[in-house]
Amino acid sequence: MRFKTALVAGAAVSALASGMVQAQDLKYPVGEGDFNWDSYQAYADAHDYSGETISITGPWTGADNELFSSVIAYFEAATGATVNYSGSESFENDIVVSTQANSAPNIAVFPQPGLLADLAARGKVTPLSDETAAWITENYAAGQSWADLASFAGEDGETKLYAFPYKIDVKSLVWYSPEQFEEAGYDVPETYEDLKALTEQIEADGGTPWCIGLGSGAATGWPATDWIEDIMLRTVEPAVYDEWTTHGIPFNDERVVNAINEFGYFLQDGRVNAGREAAANTDFRDSPAGLFSFPPECYLHKQATFIPTFFPEGTVVGEDADFFYFPAPAEGDLGKPVLGGGTMFAVTADSEATQGFLQFLQTPLAHEIWMSQSGFLSPLKSANADVFPSDSQRNMNNILTNATTFRFDGSDLMPGEIGAGAFWSEMVAFTTGSQDAQTTADNVEARWAEMGK
Amino acid sequence: MPVILQGLLTILIGVGGCIGYFFLSNMVLDKVIFPARGENAGRNINRANAVRPWLFLFPALFLLSLYLVYPVIGSFLRSLYGRNPDEFVGLGNYISLFGSDDFQQAFFNNILWAIFVPAASTFMGLLVAQLTDKLSWGNFAKSMIFMPMAISFVGASLIWKFVYANDADIGLINAVRAAMGFGDPVDVVQIPFWNNFFLMVILIWIQTGFAMVILSAALRGIPEETIEAAILDGANPWQLFFKIKVPQIMPTIIVVWTTITITVLKVFDIVYTMTGGNFGTEILPSYMMDFMFRDDGRATAIALVIMIVVFPVMYSNIRQARKEMR
Amino acid sequence: MDNIAGQKSSLTWATHISVFILVMLWLIPTVGLLVSSFRDRDQISASGWWEAPFAVELTARGRAATEATPDGDLYVVTGNIFDDEEAQSYFPKGSDDVVAFGTSGRNPTEHPAGQTADLGDGQSLVVNADGSYEFRTPEKPGSRGQRIYFAAESPPKFTLANYNQVLNSDGMGRAFLNTFTVTIPSTIIPILIAAFAAYALAWMDFPGRGLLIALVVGLLVVPLQLALVPMLGLHNRIGIGQSFMGIWMAHTAFGMPLAVYLLRNYMAGLPRDIIESAKVDGATDFELFLKIILPLSLPALAAFSIFQFLWTWNDLLVAKVFLPSDDASKVMTVKIADDLLGSRGGDWGILATAAFVSIAVPLVVFFSMQRFLVRGLLAGSVK
Repeated sequence: MRFKTALVAGAAVSALASGMVQAQDLKYPVGEGDFNWDSYQAYADAHDYSGETISITGPWTGADNELFSSVIAYFEAATGATVNYSGSESFENDIVVSTQANSAPNIAVFPQPGLLADLAARGKVTPLSDETAAWITENYAAGQSWADLASFAGEDGETKLYAFPYKIDVKSLVWYSPEQFEEAGYDVPETYEDLKALTEQIEADGGTPWCIGLGSGAATGWPATDWIEDIMLRTVEPAVYDEWTTHGIPFNDERVVNAINEFGYFLQDGRVNAGREAAANTDFRDSPAGLFSFPPECYLHKQATFIPTFFPEGTVVGEDADFFYFPAPAEGDLGKPVLGGGTMFAVTADSEATQGFLQFLQTPLAHEIWMSQSGFLSPLKSANADVFPSDSQRNMNNILTNATTFRFDGSDLMPGEIGAGAFWSEMVAFTTGSQDAQTTADNVEARWAEMGK
Repeated sequence: MPVILQGLLTILIGVGGCIGYFFLSNMVLDKVIFPARGENAGRNINRANAVRPWLFLFPALFLLSLYLVYPVIGSFLRSLYGRNPDEFVGLGNYISLFGSDDFQQAFFNNILWAIFVPAASTFMGLLVAQLTDKLSWGNFAKSMIFMPMAISFVGASLIWKFVYANDADIGLINAVRAAMGFGDPVDVVQIPFWNNFFLMVILIWIQTGFAMVILSAALRGIPEETIEAAILDGANPWQLFFKIKVPQIMPTIIVVWTTITITVLKVFDIVYTMTGGNFGTEILPSYMMDFMFRDDGRATAIALVIMIVVFPVMYSNIRQARKEMR
Repeated sequence: MDNIAGQKSSLTWATHISVFILVMLWLIPTVGLLVSSFRDRDQISASGWWEAPFAVELTARGRAATEATPDGDLYVVTGNIFDDEEAQSYFPKGSDDVVAFGTSGRNPTEHPAGQTADLGDGQSLVVNADGSYEFRTPEKPGSRGQRIYFAAESPPKFTLANYNQVLNSDGMGRAFLNTFTVTIPSTIIPILIAAFAAYALAWMDFPGRGLLIALVVGLLVVPLQLALVPMLGLHNRIGIGQSFMGIWMAHTAFGMPLAVYLLRNYMAGLPRDIIESAKVDGATDFELFLKIILPLSLPALAAFSIFQFLWTWNDLLVAKVFLPSDDASKVMTVKIADDLLGSRGGDWGILATAAFVSIAVPLVVFFSMQRFLVRGLLAGSVK
């Protein structure tokens, strides 16, 4: 008996403690700033999940985890629910295991639509309502493409919306240090040809143009796949890109081999910091540090919108670091293609509060809180762009909304074994210089062809 | 906190349950089923004694068959099916595995590991055991070398990143190279072929202590007279060691060697954390992780290949055990 | 005679020296980890841990002030570079030891400290060792001060900040507790079960005994990866799923072959007379086991429990499969491999600290109980 009372008391204390934490945790006091507080109030008035708990797992660890938690805090404050978020580097493996073990969290945040499609087809994910699909189409810029991206065939073969896209990354960015550019007299390149000319000029001036790092633990290699995808979008029609990601054309098609060879151009000796072998094993979070050392170890770094999170402490985007659009070739009519990625919120164990959380993500405030900090872009038209802490982040969002072509990260669309396996490891082998582009493409194709059998 | 309570409760239930099971089952056997009284007393005692070993063995055998025997059989069956568990492919998984370059590489590397790590660990262990034998501070030296046994493979990999890092300001090897005037730092985990050995060094570092402890006890177990006789015959220290001591402890050396071989074939953590299997360092256990939960047919096929590689070791182990039982 | 003695003593010296070298080789990696865990992030990337006691030369930058006093045709700007906010971010406490300076990022240490550098266009700059500078320019400085790059000695700095961060804010405390929760039941329960089985295999006569011993020895080598896929499936079907319960069962079973093997070998070596005389006295097998065998087998029991403790504490694979992947149930190895290695990939100080925290307990257990471990190991292996 005493034992039980102690347990209950313990639970009460921890509930109290977490309540206190919530109250203190709100990043901005309700009602202050340019945020859409009305949307928050309306949501808070209509939803109450006191005492309920929802669990979320996702790929965000460390700094990203803190940022997402700052958004969650508003949901908790509005509804009284408790949210347990946990992030893991091996999220992809973990979610497969836990859905098999029936210990799946309420919501899983997928960085890989391929994996999500897989689970949806096996009936492990609960489809979202048609209203949500309509909402996305209406309220997101290029809404139809977002709704399509998150729709998959379920266990019954019927195509439905299975996830809510939230937090978009634009990958077609090149980062640089404006002050070093100014000192050296370099201009931001406007075309892909200019970018190559700049690379050669920096090399001729005795500097090293690029910092590249592919290291990412068990996921080592993915930054190289982003390069290939961006180059694909700049060398072939979007339709070909779509065929490539769905295996409509073989992976060792000459156009893909050509894209890998283009990447090889940037890896040549003297063009990448510490050489191509080091690039293959340098952690991607460490690699941009070379932009900020004196003398600079490199002048250019291609990486997605989230990378400032890993810049050295105190680096101010817009002053110490800035970015430009990874430019498209001047010739041809490919327009301004943008490669992006995004995370998808999917329901893996339904509950009322879980649905409530997805509705919370439809409030502009849920986007603005993260927008106002770092590493977050949103296609939500009603979110107030004024809350971005800097012009550069607003510009980034503009790249997203002004794109003539938007394509999702191809490796995320490929089946996990390719997009999160063979493509990564073969690109590592290519980057170290131990195999040529043709072999690289052939090896991936061999693996993919085998899967079809 | 509740988890800790749950843990304590489990210890209590587990320990209590075990004791209760053994106590009660024995009592039931002796008092109820085959009571040692009445007209059948003698026969009952014999019968009870025939059943009792199985009472003692039951929990262990149950767990062993559930967690080890059943999976071996289950995995074998699963490996005959394809990516889709309903599609029977026979030996298809094995055939396509042996045709794949990645697998061949992993297999080859694994054989390297299985030869080199036990050999080097046993040799180093023997060397240290002999050197520290008569040393005043030998025991201290031994515990220092034994220490890595306590460190997890993940921890060990981190420790060795401070040795191997591709940066003269973090990695010791590159610092030494820089001090000796070699220019560019090298990434030792990327040197083709040899990088495997750099990863093996980590496991040797861990296993040498184990070999040393056992071999050092074996060395001390050699009868004094044998050694004195050899010294009187004019054997120098080298001859004494290689011609007298080593042959004397040969059986122990073999036990150590096989034990380390078994460990080697199970370890995936080092490769997983150091290189993720890139740069041509894949070994079978980490290669298996690529397929696990994606293509279980192939994953289980790889696991069975690992088992087959271990087979000779297993066979010699069983023969050894039977010999001991005479 | 002298000759032999001399040879002998030189051999002894050679032994001392080679053992010393071996011990150093074995210790150095771990010492590196320990030292790094007390160092500051900037210093770790600026110099190796073996240079930790010495000052580190850091390259930094700042700007000259904008207020100038006219001096003839020129404007003079004076001040101390360490008053600049940006320079302070690199040297919070300043430094007395500026080594060199420059005005371009490409060549930040062009001029030795104290030497006046001609910047062209009539401009000149000098930065002294204490950080004071004098900048002369023919034009009145604008709103941005002259860029100054400099290299200065940063004194060695040891800090507990890494430990603070790891133990408090990064959820390691939770992981530390979880590791204990996994480890302790998984160490105690298998011992009991295995001890009974080992006794039966060592001292009871029944048909099939030899076969069973062969089976246990055979199972010693089964790669446990084999069991992961089917056992997780079974756990799901019987409703355990991913939970502490499941991992306790799994660890108990996976430890069983070694436990039975070690304990059987030890028990089989106990003197036959004691056991037989007890039997003659009418002791049942159960009493015999509890009162005689168990106490006599303590060293082997202790050895196995140390082994099992180290193994479960250090395990990554079993924990990844049989425990849920949420923060509430992560154990330390998983925390380090999946969380810290990811979010702190480049933060060597944090990584080193996390690793050291995770190996501290096993090391304590190991050093305090080494004697038992050795004795038990010998029982299993030396015949």
